Amino acid sequence: MIRISKILLFFCVTALLAWVLPWAYGFLGGAAPRTPFTLYSSVSGRFVWLESSENGPTYHDAAGATFTEREFDSLLPFFYYRQLVADNRFPDSVRGVAVTPRMAQSGSFMFRSSPRDLNTTGAGIYPMLESMSGRVDLETPSDVFRIDDRGITFIDCATNAVDTEKSAAFTEMMRRKGFEFPARVIAGNPTTRKEYDEGFFLTDRTGGLFHLKQTVGRPYVRAVPLPEGLEVAHIHVTEFRGRQYYALLTDTAGQLYVLTTEDYALHPVEIPPVDLRQEGLLIVGNPLDWTLRVAAADGAEHYYAIDSRDFSRLAEWHYPAPAPSALDRAARWVFPFRLEFTSTLDTAVYPRLLDFSARALLLGALLATAYCLLRRNNPLRLWPQTLFVLLFGIYAFIGLLLFSKR
Amino acid sequence: MGKAICYKEWIKTRWYLLLALVLMTAFTAYCLLNVSRVIEFKGAVHLWAVMLERDAVFIDLLTFLPLLTGLLLGIFQYVPEMQQSRLKLTLHLPYPHYRMVAAMLLYGTVTLCALYGVSLGLVTLRFETAVARELTQRVLLTALPWYLAGWAAYFLTAWVCLEPAWKRRILNLLVAAGVLRIYFLAPAPEAYNAFLPGLTLFTLLLSLLSLLSVYRFKTGEQD
Amino acid sequence: MTEPIIECRNLTHYYGKRLIYENLSFDVPRGRILGLLGKNGTGKTTTINILSGYLKPRSGVCRIFGEDVQRMNPRTRQNIGLLIEGHIQYSFMSITQIEKFYAPFYPRWNRDAYYQLMEKLRVAPGQRIARMSCGQRSQVALGLILAQNPDLLVLDDFSLGLDPGYRRLFIDYLREYAKAEAKTVFLTSHIIQDMERLIDDCIMMDYGRILLQQPVGKLLEELRQYTFTLTADGPLPRDERLYHPSAIGSQGELFSFLGESDVRRILDEQHVPYTALESHRVGLEDAFIGLTGKY
Repeated sequence: MIRISKILLFFCVTALLAWVLPWAYGFLGGAAPRTPFTLYSSVSGRFVWLESSENGPTYHDAAGATFTEREFDSLLPFFYYRQLVADNRFPDSVRGVAVTPRMAQSGSFMFRSSPRDLNTTGAGIYPMLESMSGRVDLETPSDVFRIDDRGITFIDCATNAVDTEKSAAFTEMMRRKGFEFPARVIAGNPTTRKEYDEGFFLTDRTGGLFHLKQTVGRPYVRAVPLPEGLEVAHIHVTEFRGRQYYALLTDTAGQLYVLTTEDYALHPVEIPPVDLRQEGLLIVGNPLDWTLRVAAADGAEHYYAIDSRDFSRLAEWHYPAPAPSALDRAARWVFPFRLEFTSTLDTAVYPRLLDFSARALLLGALLATAYCLLRRNNPLRLWPQTLFVLLFGIYAFIGLLLFSKR
Repeated sequence: MGKAICYKEWIKTRWYLLLALVLMTAFTAYCLLNVSRVIEFKGAVHLWAVMLERDAVFIDLLTFLPLLTGLLLGIFQYVPEMQQSRLKLTLHLPYPHYRMVAAMLLYGTVTLCALYGVSLGLVTLRFETAVARELTQRVLLTALPWYLAGWAAYFLTAWVCLEPAWKRRILNLLVAAGVLRIYFLAPAPEAYNAFLPGLTLFTLLLSLLSLLSVYRFKTGEQD
Repeated sequence: MTEPIIECRNLTHYYGKRLIYENLSFDVPRGRILGLLGKNGTGKTTTINILSGYLKPRSGVCRIFGEDVQRMNPRTRQNIGLLIEGHIQYSFMSITQIEKFYAPFYPRWNRDAYYQLMEKLRVAPGQRIARMSCGQRSQVALGLILAQNPDLLVLDDFSLGLDPGYRRLFIDYLREYAKAEAKTVFLTSHIIQDMERLIDDCIMMDYGRILLQQPVGKLLEELRQYTFTLTADGPLPRDERLYHPSAIGSQGELFSFLGESDVRRILDEQHVPYTALESHRVGLEDAFIGLTGKY
């Protein structure tokens, strides 16, 4: 029993040190330099960015040119259209396409997907807005729904009771349209802070894609045909001001698709596979093209310019992952591993062992020797401790010095 | 003899337990009253909406309360044992030493169970009548690590109190603080869902640390 | 002599690097009241702690009723009464509560013995022990031990904090109880006069060792204090059979188990300039000081 208690104590101490020491060590280094904010210029066909320096921002493009602020505004007419309109500089056409400030206003959008938002535990119930209330402003619905293997169930908020009639009507309609309960992916933006409502996009038990919304209290369900073999992984209902798209989707291989409104068709976006659970995706769109930024977990950032008409790739630009600093490299020699409970990529708390480094075994061996010398004992008699220090390095060494008997 | 052990623990802790029960109930009731007020003044829809959209759980006030009650129970139970080395009396009783400590810890664990049961029971009752089971579950799963932290704080306090040497006691205190930090890292509701079984096991294992303190007491460790 | 109740063999203990004692061995036979005498820092409390199992000696073993105290069967402790220095008890309890608490642990529990003693205290049954005087607390602690009715009593500094009345009360009760029921008692006290009324045997400890262990009667019968007057500035005698020869002014003093003629011979042999050698019987306290020295 005492032996177990002792092991438990050293387990706790080692775990805490493996958590706290690398964290404290991290304070020694400064913040990693940030990559500049970059966009694809519809005018020049190059990526342009602004860098902040001590003398204020400077403006550059991928060809090495530098610009003034005014020039920079004109390179991004859709992004800075309000400035250009105010200066009376908004162009009549961009690359041969006639444009208006109104186009810029309605056809521009910004989309953001972060791993942290995806990797979080949702409540599993969703309010379904009325998409054709006849009012300008959306209203918070008075009920929420859940989907399980028996169907869709609406629960009235005020009474906390099931609305059987509505539930039956929706379940019936979904079944009729070929939906097989339960749902795998349920995606929607159940908030009133948007301009209009397109309800939810769901996949059913078999992976089929469906559009579900509430119009005048009635269910609107539509099956969306998927290309053969496509398995939907994530869906983001867009509800952009321009109403040109229903949703952005990725399949299980990471391919990004756009679901366009006019034809309910899926269009692959010509970028390499993206893992939305690990990588952040930012899309800044305008009527002519999109700039996509894929932020990888290692800090690298990949920019792609996509033609808004056929979603083909126009250009790309890459910021490599920052090289590890001298401190980071030194850490590989010091810490055999590191323990974290949280991550920037998700909202869960659980122990995660990271950054295993065989190089730290060297320090482990040194410390194991030091430990035996300090305790004036031979490594064979102290073999559990020696092995412990060898493998767990500095954490075990400090723990043993503090908590083991002389 | 088990009854006699409980009797002693009861005499040490009864007034505190009453206070803790009042506090626990009062704070819980206050939080739940807020839920009722939201329903009354802003409507049930608003309640559901803020719970769904803004991740509100309405019982944030209870975050550190189980921790505090567990910690204080540990103090009320084990500080009298350590004052003037009264533990010698306890360990001199014709009862196996580690079973004695286990019985004392069990008493604390069970009373905390009852205390937290009241609080969690009230929370469950209130939310079950007002919101869907998913939201009730969400509230409970969000709060569960706080209550586990209460048990952990209790076990760690026992460990720190029963430790005979002051130098070591301070080290233990640091470790205890670090361990307790683990229970309060949630950036979002239900953050601990995957970790809960492991964390529960870990929490229960923390009770074993007290045996180490008693072992050190018995071997006569001193500063 | 029957088999010893307490048996300590080759006890060696250090605090850190400081040696308390080395290879200390002693026995306590059944039915005897044995007092452990020693100056501060000679290891009395250390010995009691080792004996009651709250200190693991660096080496050596201590057996009570033939069992190693470090691995004692919990049931054996039913038969050992322990009084902690300062009469410490569960002071958060009242006298009725504490009786109720202890009773289930001891099959031979004698409730009446406890309450007989408590009646003399004139405290309300609901009064917490913490609010009693030190003397009253000592009676509670004693009452509990008497009710436990163990064959061996281990008492650590029972006279600490007691006024003479309570000390006397404690001693009388204890002696009567121990003698009537042939109990074995192992005790320490810093007030040696108390011991004289109580103990049969004594162990005197000096730094790191046992000076002597023998019945008090025999000790007081054999030990003599010798006083003499120094006639000139001469050397004091040096002989291991003469304990702590000292002089204040011209008044010399020493202790010895030797007869007067033997002492006189040693003084003569060592050319000590003395006159008026007188031999006195002494009490336990003087014997203790004589044997261990004043410093």
